[in-house]
Amino acid sequence: MTDLHSARFVGASRIGRRAVIRAGAAIGLAQLASPFILRGARGDTPLRIGMIDPLTGAYAAPARNEVMGAQLAVSRLNAAGGVLGRPLELLVEDSANDVGTGVQKARKLVERDHVDFLIGDVNSAVAQAIAQVAMENKILHIVSGGHTDTITGTDCKWNVYRVCNTTRMESNAVSDILFKKYGKKWHFITPDYTFGHTLQAALEVNLKRLGGIETGAELTPLGTTDFSAYLIKARAANPDVIILLVQGQDMVNCLKQIVQFGINKEVPIAGTQQELESLEGLPSEARIGTWMFEWYWNQPGVPHLPEFIADIRKVNKGRVPTARHWFGFTSVMTMGLVAAQEKTTDAVKLAHALSDFELPPEVKLQPNKVYYRAGDHQLMLSAFIGQAQAKGKDDPDDLFAVDQVVAGDAVAPPVADTGCTLHWPA
Amino acid sequence: MRESGRTHPAVLVAIWMVLLLAPAWLGLVGGYTALGARVLVLGLAAMSLNFLLGFTGVLSFGHAAWFGLGAYGTGLTLKFVAASTPLALLAGTLLGGVLGAALGALIAHRRGIYFAMVTIAFGQVFYYIAYRWNALTGGDDGLRGFSRQNLAIGPWSVDIVANGVAFYYFVLICFAAIVAIMALLLRSPFGHTLVAIRENERRARFLGIPVEFHIWAAFALSCVFISFAGGLYALLNNFADPNNLHYSLSGDLVIMAVLGGMRSFWGPLLGAAVFVVLQDYVSSLTTNWMSFVGLLFVLVVLFFPRGLLGVLRGKSPA
Repeated sequence: MTDLHSARFVGASRIGRRAVIRAGAAIGLAQLASPFILRGARGDTPLRIGMIDPLTGAYAAPARNEVMGAQLAVSRLNAAGGVLGRPLELLVEDSANDVGTGVQKARKLVERDHVDFLIGDVNSAVAQAIAQVAMENKILHIVSGGHTDTITGTDCKWNVYRVCNTTRMESNAVSDILFKKYGKKWHFITPDYTFGHTLQAALEVNLKRLGGIETGAELTPLGTTDFSAYLIKARAANPDVIILLVQGQDMVNCLKQIVQFGINKEVPIAGTQQELESLEGLPSEARIGTWMFEWYWNQPGVPHLPEFIADIRKVNKGRVPTARHWFGFTSVMTMGLVAAQEKTTDAVKLAHALSDFELPPEVKLQPNKVYYRAGDHQLMLSAFIGQAQAKGKDDPDDLFAVDQVVAGDAVAPPVADTGCTLHWPA
Repeated sequence: MRESGRTHPAVLVAIWMVLLLAPAWLGLVGGYTALGARVLVLGLAAMSLNFLLGFTGVLSFGHAAWFGLGAYGTGLTLKFVAASTPLALLAGTLLGGVLGAALGALIAHRRGIYFAMVTIAFGQVFYYIAYRWNALTGGDDGLRGFSRQNLAIGPWSVDIVANGVAFYYFVLICFAAIVAIMALLLRSPFGHTLVAIRENERRARFLGIPVEFHIWAAFALSCVFISFAGGLYALLNNFADPNNLHYSLSGDLVIMAVLGGMRSFWGPLLGAAVFVVLQDYVSSLTTNWMSFVGLLFVLVVLFFPRGLLGVLRGKSPA
């Protein structure tokens, strides 16, 4: 065994010299190969917007739609001569639903690509982490699709604005309507993680205020495929309405099983946020229930909407825009408009200018006044409340019949209740 | 066998020069300083895992748990206890290290697939605790609301909050300290005993070596090292989230170790560098970047079982 030890050291020293050269060459090549391709593709003069979204993983579909909307906004602004005389450039990065990766991508966009603005992310946790990087670097950041209350609540920041709703806005938008329509005994089916818990808590507050009763709540782990046990329990509790708070694929599985068991024939089904992406993933008989959309494409008589739909159809294989398209579109348009209005890219000035900034008709694409509230930087967008429908009358993508459109500031809690205190840089 | 011996001084000098000068050359080749810090942190984590995998010969598939515990320990300390970076790192290391050592006592008797399964199980326990304990950990939203603090060294204060280069060197110094401890341990009789257990456990046992104790000790040390890396990761991101504890990260760390070469001391660092850089660049070009990492991994396992560093070192007797 002692011989082996000495042989080991001799061998190591012999190979070592060669390894230096080879390692050096390999590391050099590995580092050089890809970045230059990128550098060539990314020139220096344009106004740069960094967009981080989970293009891979569970939220890939909404994330890609957000990017598509953002790209449309960029090409429209560029067609009109750019912003401040500079063309816009959108740099898209994949956060892969992982906070560490998202933060890394944010640093990359800021440190290497020197972006002027940041947009993202569908995942609330990633969005909040990016917001922190953006604040450290004094960059204007618009959260396009993460719903957690704290982004424009207790963790609000001077440089962070949000386009999509908060969970409290969503629950406020539907509570009174569901109570009036279905009755006072509610049963929840809630995804068992932070988003689900906060959404349920917000609804419970409203239910209590209205004098209703909660017959129970089924906490379902994320990624549940078999909801039968929860559904049987929910039916046995004999509620007036079953409130589904699960999202994405879970929503699809749960609704399919509700229809299979015929539960929807005994108890009405409702919920808060519903997305066109989810309804499209359902068989037609399972497109049921009362929901809230954050934005919906079929609004007769809304100016500039037909052009938007037509433009998205061109790049979306003929399909209509979803709320996610509009989020991405609105995020970029907001930055372009406010920079053009203020004639600067200075984040502090732009962030001040966005306080109570109202979106023009060609961007808001909905009836009510839509503006960024000064107190918490939350966009006051309308809630579209209505029924899922099996088949559209005129269009296969018309899977939702809107009953009413509620203005955002009617459902948003007052700024004082959000817990947001903005600290502006000196 | 030689790979567990010393690295040639010239190689060492080259490695340290590359690391020391990283802030200068990273920008020239399209990188950025935070990328360098990420390579160091994940490299340290992969090297910690490899302390167990490559040198003791037992595969833990739940090491992200200790990494994540280090991250949460560090974050929670900064958030609730004291605004001190060194104290937070120490607390994170202790949290992961102590829990790892305690549970390691239960795991050390298992071998092979059972060892790997039990480590996954324990890892997922901590994942779900972080995922569900909303009040303390922030649940799925992650732990936020803390930030690394400037270092106070005597009368001087080093700005590692806003100054990315200073933070890189802080990480590099931490990295160097842990790597030095690891190298010293591996060169000690204790380290040689670990290699002996890896090569032939039965013979080691017949020689009177307390095998279980050594495996436990290696496991506990590995947990301490990786918790420290986790703490650095929390400081790097100013954030900790449940994915830091998830077994998919454990898998990534194993991939880094195998990719770089798990029988060599520096292999995992190379593996981490390749993994992180690939992720960073290829994911900007295509959403299918994982396929490239997967393809590289498959190629390495099939054709270069000694990892990338094994290839660079040329053919040698197995």
